[in-house]
Amino acid sequence: MKNESLTAVLQERPLTRVVANCAVTAGSVLLCLLISPSRLPGMELAGIGPNWLLIWVVSWSVKRTAFQGALAGLILGLIQDGMTAYSPTHVLSLMLVGILTARLRKERYLKEDFISIALIVFAMAVIAETVTAIQYSFQGDRTLVEIWTYHQLIALGSAVLSSLWAPIVYYPLNRWWQHIQTIEQQS
Amino acid sequence: MFTLRRWWDRHRLQATLIGLAVGSALFLRQTEGAVLYEAYQILVRPFQPNLERKTVLANAQNQELQQRLTELESQNQQLRALLGYMGETKKPGITAPIVGRSADHWWQHVLMGRGSRDGVQEGYVVMAPGGVVGRVINVTPSTSRVLLLSDPSSRVGVTVSRSRFMGYIRGQSSNRAVMEFFDKVPDVRQGDVITTSSLSQLFPAGLPVGRVESINMSKSPAPEAVIELTAPVSFLEWAIIYPHTQPKSGEAKN
Repeated sequence: MKNESLTAVLQERPLTRVVANCAVTAGSVLLCLLISPSRLPGMELAGIGPNWLLIWVVSWSVKRTAFQGALAGLILGLIQDGMTAYSPTHVLSLMLVGILTARLRKERYLKEDFISIALIVFAMAVIAETVTAIQYSFQGDRTLVEIWTYHQLIALGSAVLSSLWAPIVYYPLNRWWQHIQTIEQQS
Repeated sequence: MFTLRRWWDRHRLQATLIGLAVGSALFLRQTEGAVLYEAYQILVRPFQPNLERKTVLANAQNQELQQRLTELESQNQQLRALLGYMGETKKPGITAPIVGRSADHWWQHVLMGRGSRDGVQEGYVVMAPGGVVGRVINVTPSTSRVLLLSDPSSRVGVTVSRSRFMGYIRGQSSNRAVMEFFDKVPDVRQGDVITTSSLSQLFPAGLPVGRVESINMSKSPAPEAVIELTAPVSFLEWAIIYPHTQPKSGEAKN
Protein backbone atom coordinates (compact mmCIF):
# COMPACT_ATOMS: atom_id res chain seq x y z
CA MET A 1 0.00 0.00 0.00
CA LYS A 2 2.67 2.38 1.08
CA ASN A 3 4.78 1.34 -1.83
CA GLU A 4 2.00 2.18 -4.24
CA SER A 5 1.46 5.63 -2.80
CA LEU A 6 5.21 6.26 -3.03
CA THR A 7 5.13 5.22 -6.66
CA ALA A 8 2.19 7.53 -7.27
CA VAL A 9 4.01 10.47 -5.70
CA LEU A 10 7.11 9.72 -7.77
CA GLN A 11 4.99 9.46 -10.86
CA GLU A 12 3.17 12.72 -10.38
CA ARG A 13 6.06 14.92 -9.40
CA PRO A 14 9.08 14.78 -11.67
CA LEU A 15 11.08 17.07 -9.37
CA THR A 16 10.54 14.82 -6.35
CA ARG A 17 11.57 11.91 -8.52
CA VAL A 18 14.85 13.54 -9.50
CA VAL A 19 15.58 14.56 -5.92
CA ALA A 20 14.78 11.07 -4.59
CA ASN A 21 16.87 9.46 -7.28
CA CYS A 22 19.83 11.74 -6.55
CA ALA A 23 19.46 11.17 -2.81
CA VAL A 24 19.47 7.39 -3.18
CA THR A 25 22.41 7.47 -5.58
CA ALA A 26 24.48 9.87 -3.47
CA GLY A 27 23.50 8.01 -0.31
CA SER A 28 24.70 4.71 -1.71
CA VAL A 29 28.02 6.31 -2.72
CA LEU A 30 28.37 7.72 0.79
CA LEU A 31 27.68 4.30 2.31
CA CYS A 32 30.33 2.72 0.10
CA LEU A 33 32.81 5.46 1.07
CA LEU A 34 32.11 5.10 4.78
CA ILE A 35 32.40 1.35 4.75
CA SER A 36 35.74 1.29 2.94
CA PRO A 37 37.98 2.15 5.95
CA SER A 38 36.27 -0.47 8.11
CA ARG A 39 37.22 -4.12 8.16
CA LEU A 40 34.21 -5.96 9.51
CA PRO A 41 34.61 -9.60 10.43
CA GLY A 42 33.99 -11.78 7.40
CA MET A 43 34.90 -8.99 5.00
CA GLU A 44 38.61 -9.46 5.35
CA LEU A 45 41.07 -11.83 3.72
CA ALA A 46 44.71 -11.42 4.77
CA GLY A 47 44.03 -7.80 5.70
CA ILE A 48 42.36 -7.08 2.37
CA GLY A 49 38.74 -6.06 2.14
CA PRO A 50 36.34 -5.67 -0.78
CA ASN A 51 36.80 -2.65 -3.04
CA TRP A 52 33.40 -1.02 -2.43
CA LEU A 53 33.89 1.91 -4.78
CA LEU A 54 34.73 -0.43 -7.62
CA ILE A 55 31.58 -2.44 -6.93
CA TRP A 56 29.58 0.78 -7.05
CA VAL A 57 31.14 1.91 -10.33
CA VAL A 58 30.39 -1.47 -11.89
CA SER A 59 26.78 -1.46 -10.64
CA TRP A 60 26.34 2.04 -12.04
CA SER A 61 27.92 1.37 -15.42
CA VAL A 62 26.31 -1.97 -16.21
CA LYS A 63 23.26 -0.42 -17.85
CA ARG A 64 24.64 2.96 -18.83
CA THR A 65 26.77 4.52 -21.53
CA ALA A 66 30.54 4.57 -21.50
CA PHE A 67 30.50 8.33 -20.87
CA GLN A 68 28.38 7.93 -17.75
CA GLY A 69 30.61 5.11 -16.57
CA ALA A 70 33.71 7.23 -17.06
CA LEU A 71 32.10 10.12 -15.19
CA ALA A 72 31.28 7.91 -12.22
CA GLY A 73 34.84 6.60 -12.27
CA LEU A 74 36.20 10.17 -12.33
CA ILE A 75 34.08 11.33 -9.40
CA LEU A 76 34.69 8.32 -7.15
CA GLY A 77 38.35 8.25 -8.16
CA LEU A 78 38.81 11.86 -7.05
CA ILE A 79 37.16 11.14 -3.71
CA GLN A 80 39.23 8.03 -3.11
CA ASP A 81 42.38 9.98 -3.95
CA GLY A 82 41.45 12.37 -1.19
CA MET A 83 40.95 9.51 1.23
CA THR A 84 44.32 7.86 0.52
CA ALA A 85 46.97 9.70 -1.48
CA TYR A 86 47.07 11.67 -4.72
CA SER A 87 49.54 9.51 -6.54
CA PRO A 88 49.10 6.98 -7.98
CA THR A 89 45.61 8.16 -8.77
CA HIS A 90 42.46 6.07 -8.61
CA VAL A 91 40.83 8.16 -11.31
CA LEU A 92 42.48 6.19 -14.11
CA SER A 93 41.59 2.74 -12.83
CA LEU A 94 37.99 3.56 -11.89
CA MET A 95 37.35 5.41 -15.17
CA LEU A 96 38.68 2.45 -17.12
CA VAL A 97 36.43 0.14 -15.10
CA GLY A 98 33.41 2.34 -15.82
CA ILE A 99 34.09 2.49 -19.55
CA LEU A 100 34.85 -1.20 -19.90
CA THR A 101 31.78 -2.27 -17.93
CA ALA A 102 29.54 -0.04 -20.02
CA ARG A 103 31.07 -1.23 -23.28
CA LEU A 104 30.81 -4.91 -22.36
CA ARG A 105 28.39 -6.69 -24.70
CA LYS A 106 26.43 -8.14 -21.82
CA GLU A 107 23.37 -9.09 -23.80
CA ARG A 108 25.49 -11.33 -25.96
CA TYR A 109 27.82 -12.97 -23.50
CA LEU A 110 26.32 -12.64 -20.06
CA LYS A 111 22.88 -12.85 -18.63
CA GLU A 112 21.60 -10.38 -16.11
CA ASP A 113 22.05 -12.11 -12.77
CA PHE A 114 24.22 -12.34 -9.66
CA ILE A 115 26.73 -14.65 -11.22
CA SER A 116 27.49 -12.40 -14.18
CA ILE A 117 27.76 -9.32 -11.94
CA ALA A 118 30.17 -11.22 -9.71
CA LEU A 119 32.17 -12.21 -12.78
CA ILE A 120 32.33 -8.66 -14.11
CA VAL A 121 33.39 -7.32 -10.70
CA PHE A 122 36.06 -10.02 -10.43
CA ALA A 123 37.57 -9.12 -13.79
CA MET A 124 37.30 -5.37 -13.17
CA ALA A 125 38.99 -5.63 -9.76
CA VAL A 126 41.93 -7.41 -11.36
CA ILE A 127 42.10 -4.74 -14.10
CA ALA A 128 41.89 -1.86 -11.61
CA GLU A 129 44.67 -3.22 -9.40
CA THR A 130 46.79 -3.85 -12.49
CA VAL A 131 46.38 -0.21 -13.57
CA THR A 132 47.52 0.91 -10.10
CA ALA A 133 50.47 -1.47 -10.23
CA ILE A 134 51.49 -0.11 -13.64
CA GLN A 135 51.36 3.43 -12.26
CA TYR A 136 53.60 2.36 -9.40
CA SER A 137 56.02 0.78 -11.86
CA PHE A 138 56.36 4.12 -13.66
CA GLN A 139 56.73 6.01 -10.41
CA GLY A 140 59.80 4.00 -9.54
CA ASP A 141 59.99 4.38 -5.77
CA ARG A 142 59.45 0.65 -5.25
CA THR A 143 61.19 -2.22 -6.97
CA LEU A 144 59.28 -4.00 -9.70
CA VAL A 145 59.50 -7.35 -7.93
CA GLU A 146 57.92 -5.87 -4.82
CA ILE A 147 55.12 -4.19 -6.75
CA TRP A 148 54.14 -7.22 -8.78
CA THR A 149 54.33 -9.73 -5.93
CA TYR A 150 52.11 -7.46 -3.91
CA HIS A 151 49.88 -6.92 -6.92
CA GLN A 152 49.18 -10.67 -7.10
CA LEU A 153 48.07 -10.74 -3.48
CA ILE A 154 45.91 -7.62 -3.70
CA ALA A 155 44.39 -8.32 -7.10
CA LEU A 156 43.32 -11.81 -6.14
CA GLY A 157 42.17 -10.96 -2.61
CA SER A 158 40.23 -7.86 -3.57
CA ALA A 159 38.75 -9.54 -6.67
CA VAL A 160 37.45 -12.54 -4.71
CA LEU A 161 36.00 -10.46 -1.89
CA SER A 162 34.57 -7.74 -4.13
CA SER A 163 32.83 -10.24 -6.37
CA LEU A 164 31.35 -12.01 -3.35
CA TRP A 165 29.99 -8.79 -1.87
CA ALA A 166 28.98 -7.19 -5.16
CA PRO A 167 25.31 -8.34 -5.13
CA ILE A 168 24.75 -6.47 -1.84
CA VAL A 169 25.40 -3.17 -3.60
CA TYR A 170 24.18 -4.14 -7.05
CA TYR A 171 20.81 -5.73 -6.27
CA PRO A 172 19.05 -2.93 -4.31
CA LEU A 173 20.57 -0.16 -6.42
CA ASN A 174 19.62 -1.84 -9.66
CA ARG A 175 16.09 -2.46 -8.40
CA TRP A 176 15.74 1.22 -7.55
CA TRP A 177 17.09 2.50 -10.86
CA GLN A 178 14.86 0.10 -12.77
CA HIS A 179 11.88 1.25 -10.72
CA ILE A 180 12.62 4.90 -11.50
CA GLN A 181 13.03 4.10 -15.16
CA THR A 182 9.67 2.34 -15.44
CA ILE A 183 7.98 5.26 -13.70
CA GLU A 184 9.66 7.69 -16.07
CA GLN A 185 8.46 5.73 -19.05
CA GLN A 186 4.91 5.57 -17.71
CA SER A 187 4.60 9.26 -17.03
CA MET B 1 24.51 30.20 -29.92
CA PHE B 2 21.12 28.79 -30.67
CA THR B 3 22.34 25.20 -30.65
CA LEU B 4 24.11 25.87 -27.39
CA ARG B 5 20.94 27.22 -25.94
CA ARG B 6 18.88 24.27 -27.15
CA TRP B 7 21.45 21.88 -25.74
CA TRP B 8 21.27 23.69 -22.43
CA ASP B 9 17.49 23.54 -22.39
CA ARG B 10 17.53 19.83 -22.99
CA HIS B 11 20.41 18.87 -20.72
CA ARG B 12 20.10 21.53 -18.05
CA LEU B 13 19.32 19.09 -15.26
CA GLN B 14 21.96 16.58 -16.24
CA ALA B 15 24.64 19.21 -16.63
CA THR B 16 23.83 20.72 -13.25
CA LEU B 17 23.91 17.35 -11.54
CA ILE B 18 27.19 16.38 -13.18
CA GLY B 19 28.69 19.73 -12.21
CA LEU B 20 27.51 19.26 -8.66
CA ALA B 21 28.91 15.74 -8.44
CA VAL B 22 32.29 16.64 -9.93
CA GLY B 23 32.46 19.74 -7.72
CA SER B 24 31.82 17.85 -4.53
CA ALA B 25 34.26 15.13 -5.56
CA LEU B 26 36.95 17.77 -6.10
CA PHE B 27 36.11 19.33 -2.75
CA LEU B 28 36.46 15.97 -1.01
CA ARG B 29 39.77 15.40 -2.77
CA GLN B 30 41.20 18.77 -1.79
CA THR B 31 40.13 18.37 1.84
CA GLU B 32 41.54 14.82 1.82
CA GLY B 33 38.15 13.37 2.70
CA ALA B 34 38.02 15.13 6.08
CA VAL B 35 34.21 15.23 6.02
CA LEU B 36 34.06 11.52 5.26
CA TYR B 37 36.43 10.58 8.04
CA GLU B 38 34.50 12.75 10.49
CA ALA B 39 31.26 11.06 9.47
CA TYR B 40 32.93 7.68 9.76
CA GLN B 41 34.12 8.50 13.27
CA ILE B 42 30.61 9.53 14.33
CA LEU B 43 29.22 6.27 12.92
CA VAL B 44 31.71 3.94 14.55
CA ARG B 45 31.91 5.72 17.89
CA PRO B 46 29.47 3.30 19.61
CA PHE B 47 31.59 0.33 18.52
CA GLN B 48 34.92 1.64 19.71
CA PRO B 49 36.74 -0.33 22.41
CA ASN B 50 36.45 0.99 25.93
CA LEU B 51 39.79 2.55 26.73
CA GLU B 52 39.26 2.24 30.48
CA ARG B 53 39.39 -1.55 30.22
CA LYS B 54 42.45 -1.82 28.04
CA THR B 55 42.80 -5.43 27.10
CA VAL B 56 46.54 -5.27 26.94
CA LEU B 57 48.18 -7.68 24.56
CA ALA B 58 50.34 -9.13 27.28
CA ASN B 59 52.75 -10.95 25.06
CA ALA B 60 53.47 -8.01 22.81
CA GLN B 61 53.99 -5.70 25.75
CA ASN B 62 56.39 -8.15 27.30
CA GLN B 63 58.40 -8.16 24.10
CA GLU B 64 58.43 -4.41 24.02
CA LEU B 65 59.79 -4.26 27.55
CA GLN B 66 62.51 -6.72 26.66
CA GLN B 67 63.48 -4.69 23.64
CA ARG B 68 63.51 -1.49 25.62
CA LEU B 69 65.77 -3.16 28.14
CA THR B 70 68.22 -4.26 25.46
CA GLU B 71 68.18 -0.78 24.01
CA LEU B 72 68.72 0.86 27.38
CA GLU B 73 71.54 -1.47 28.27
CA SER B 74 73.49 -0.75 25.16
CA GLN B 75 72.70 2.94 25.32
CA ASN B 76 73.87 2.98 28.89
CA GLN B 77 77.23 1.57 27.90
CA GLN B 78 77.65 4.28 25.32
CA LEU B 79 76.68 6.97 27.77
CA ARG B 80 79.21 5.85 30.29
CA ALA B 81 81.86 6.35 27.70
CA LEU B 82 80.41 9.64 26.59
CA LEU B 83 79.52 11.36 29.90
CA GLY B 84 77.69 14.64 29.83
CA TYR B 85 74.77 13.41 27.77
CA MET B 86 71.50 15.16 28.47
CA GLY B 87 68.48 12.86 28.42
CA GLU B 88 65.18 13.89 26.91
CA THR B 89 62.17 13.99 29.15
CA LYS B 90 59.25 11.97 27.89
CA LYS B 91 56.06 13.86 27.20
CA PRO B 92 52.66 12.36 28.05
CA GLY B 93 50.88 10.65 25.16
CA ILE B 94 47.31 10.65 23.89
CA THR B 95 45.64 7.25 24.02
CA ALA B 96 43.44 6.69 20.99
CA PRO B 97 41.36 3.80 19.63
CA ILE B 98 42.06 2.46 16.15
CA VAL B 99 38.80 2.85 14.28
CA GLY B 100 39.61 2.01 10.69
CA ARG B 101 42.11 0.91 8.08
CA SER B 102 43.18 2.48 4.81
CA ALA B 103 40.53 2.91 2.14
CA ASP B 104 42.69 1.09 -0.39
CA HIS B 105 45.05 -1.85 -0.11
CA TRP B 106 48.07 -0.26 -1.70
CA TRP B 107 48.45 2.01 1.30
CA GLN B 108 49.08 0.89 4.85
CA HIS B 109 47.20 3.42 6.94
CA VAL B 110 45.18 3.20 10.11
CA LEU B 111 42.58 5.65 11.29
CA MET B 112 42.69 6.72 14.94
CA GLY B 113 39.73 8.10 16.84
CA ARG B 114 41.45 11.25 18.16
CA GLY B 115 42.18 14.37 16.18
CA SER B 116 43.18 18.00 16.39
CA ARG B 117 40.49 18.58 19.04
CA ASP B 118 42.52 16.35 21.37
CA GLY B 119 45.79 17.99 20.44
CA VAL B 120 47.05 15.60 17.78
CA GLN B 121 49.17 17.16 15.06
CA GLU B 122 50.77 15.98 11.87
CA GLY B 123 54.11 14.31 12.40
CA TYR B 124 53.27 12.92 15.84
CA VAL B 125 54.57 9.44 16.56
CA VAL B 126 52.25 6.51 17.23
CA MET B 127 53.30 3.75 19.62
CA ALA B 128 51.48 0.56 20.51
CA PRO B 129 52.19 -2.34 22.81
CA GLY B 130 55.18 -3.80 20.98
CA GLY B 131 56.84 -0.69 19.63
CA VAL B 132 56.53 2.02 17.01
CA VAL B 133 53.55 1.77 14.68
CA GLY B 134 53.90 4.82 12.46
CA ARG B 135 53.34 8.54 12.34
CA VAL B 136 50.40 10.84 11.86
CA ILE B 137 50.13 12.19 8.31
CA ASN B 138 46.69 13.78 8.31
CA VAL B 139 44.47 15.21 11.04
CA THR B 140 40.78 16.09 11.09
CA PRO B 141 38.99 17.47 14.20
CA SER B 142 38.30 14.03 15.62
CA THR B 143 40.30 11.53 13.58
CA SER B 144 43.89 11.19 12.50
CA ARG B 145 45.39 9.08 9.76
CA VAL B 146 48.59 7.18 10.51
CA LEU B 147 51.13 6.03 7.94
CA LEU B 148 52.32 2.64 9.20
CA LEU B 149 55.94 1.54 9.23
CA SER B 150 54.88 -1.37 7.03
CA ASP B 151 53.92 1.00 4.18
CA PRO B 152 56.48 0.78 1.38
CA SER B 153 56.65 4.57 1.19
CA SER B 154 57.61 5.00 4.84
CA ARG B 155 61.34 4.99 5.37
CA VAL B 156 62.85 5.24 8.80
CA GLY B 157 66.44 5.38 9.96
CA VAL B 158 67.10 2.52 12.36
CA THR B 159 69.99 1.01 14.22
CA VAL B 160 70.88 -2.46 15.48
CA SER B 161 70.51 -2.07 19.20
CA ARG B 162 73.40 -4.39 20.12
CA SER B 163 76.12 -3.29 17.74
CA ARG B 164 74.86 0.23 16.78
CA PHE B 165 75.16 -0.44 13.05
CA MET B 166 72.84 1.87 11.16
CA GLY B 167 70.58 1.55 8.19
CA TYR B 168 67.05 2.33 7.16
CA ILE B 169 63.91 0.25 6.85
CA ARG B 170 61.39 0.09 4.07
CA GLY B 171 57.94 -1.36 4.75
CA GLN B 172 56.82 -4.54 3.06
CA SER B 173 53.05 -4.31 3.33
CA SER B 174 52.45 -6.82 6.11
CA ASN B 175 54.21 -6.88 9.46
CA ARG B 176 57.58 -7.11 7.76
CA ALA B 177 60.11 -4.50 6.74
CA VAL B 178 63.42 -4.67 4.92
CA MET B 179 66.43 -3.05 6.54
CA GLU B 180 69.21 -1.81 4.31
CA PHE B 181 72.54 -1.26 6.04
CA PHE B 182 74.85 1.64 5.38
CA ASP B 183 77.91 -0.55 5.99
CA LYS B 184 79.21 -3.32 3.78
CA VAL B 185 79.81 -5.79 6.62
CA PRO B 186 77.46 -4.98 9.50
CA ASP B 187 77.56 -6.91 12.75
CA VAL B 188 74.02 -8.24 12.90
CA ARG B 189 72.54 -11.54 13.97
CA GLN B 190 69.15 -13.16 13.78
CA GLY B 191 66.99 -12.00 16.68
CA ASP B 192 68.79 -8.68 17.15
CA VAL B 193 66.58 -5.85 18.31
CA ILE B 194 66.12 -2.93 15.92
CA THR B 195 65.38 0.57 17.22
CA THR B 196 64.95 3.96 15.61
CA SER B 197 68.29 5.67 15.15
CA SER B 198 69.38 9.14 16.11
CA LEU B 199 69.69 9.96 12.41
CA SER B 200 65.96 9.57 11.93
CA GLN B 201 64.20 12.91 11.85
CA LEU B 202 60.69 11.55 11.69
CA PHE B 203 60.98 9.55 14.90
CA PRO B 204 62.73 10.13 18.21
CA ALA B 205 65.77 7.91 18.69
CA GLY B 206 65.70 4.66 20.63
CA LEU B 207 62.13 3.46 20.10
CA PRO B 208 61.76 -0.30 19.59
CA VAL B 209 60.79 -1.24 16.05
CA GLY B 210 61.24 -4.99 15.65
CA ARG B 211 63.69 -7.85 15.53
CA VAL B 212 65.83 -9.34 12.78
CA GLU B 213 64.23 -12.35 11.14
CA SER B 214 66.72 -13.18 8.41
CA ILE B 215 69.82 -11.62 6.90
CA ASN B 216 71.04 -11.50 3.32
CA MET B 217 74.70 -10.45 3.37
CA SER B 218 75.30 -11.00 -0.34
CA LYS B 219 72.74 -8.43 -1.40
CA SER B 220 74.09 -5.62 -3.56
CA PRO B 221 74.72 -2.69 -3.09
CA ALA B 222 74.29 -3.10 0.66
CA PRO B 223 73.39 -6.07 2.86
CA GLU B 224 69.73 -6.42 3.76
CA ALA B 225 67.86 -7.90 6.69
CA VAL B 226 64.19 -8.75 7.00
CA ILE B 227 62.74 -7.21 10.14
CA GLU B 228 59.65 -8.50 11.90
CA LEU B 229 57.79 -5.52 13.33
CA THR B 230 56.84 -6.25 16.92
CA ALA B 231 53.70 -4.15 17.18
CA PRO B 232 50.84 -6.43 16.05
CA VAL B 233 49.26 -3.84 13.77
CA SER B 234 46.70 -6.13 12.18
CA PHE B 235 44.76 -6.68 15.39
CA LEU B 236 45.55 -3.58 17.42
CA GLU B 237 42.61 -1.91 19.11
CA TRP B 238 44.31 1.15 20.51
CA ALA B 239 47.61 2.98 20.38
CA ILE B 240 49.26 5.96 22.00
CA ILE B 241 50.13 9.12 20.08
CA TYR B 242 53.25 10.94 21.34
CA PRO B 243 54.09 14.53 20.44
CA HIS B 244 57.14 14.85 18.25
CA THR B 245 58.33 17.90 16.42
CA GLN B 246 60.59 17.08 13.56
CA PRO B 247 63.18 19.35 12.05
CA LYS B 248 62.11 20.66 8.67
CA SER B 249 63.21 18.40 5.86
CA GLY B 250 61.98 17.62 2.40
CA GLU B 251 62.80 13.93 2.42
CA ALA B 252 60.74 10.90 3.38
CA LYS B 253 57.44 12.63 2.87
CA ASN B 254 54.57 10.58 1.61
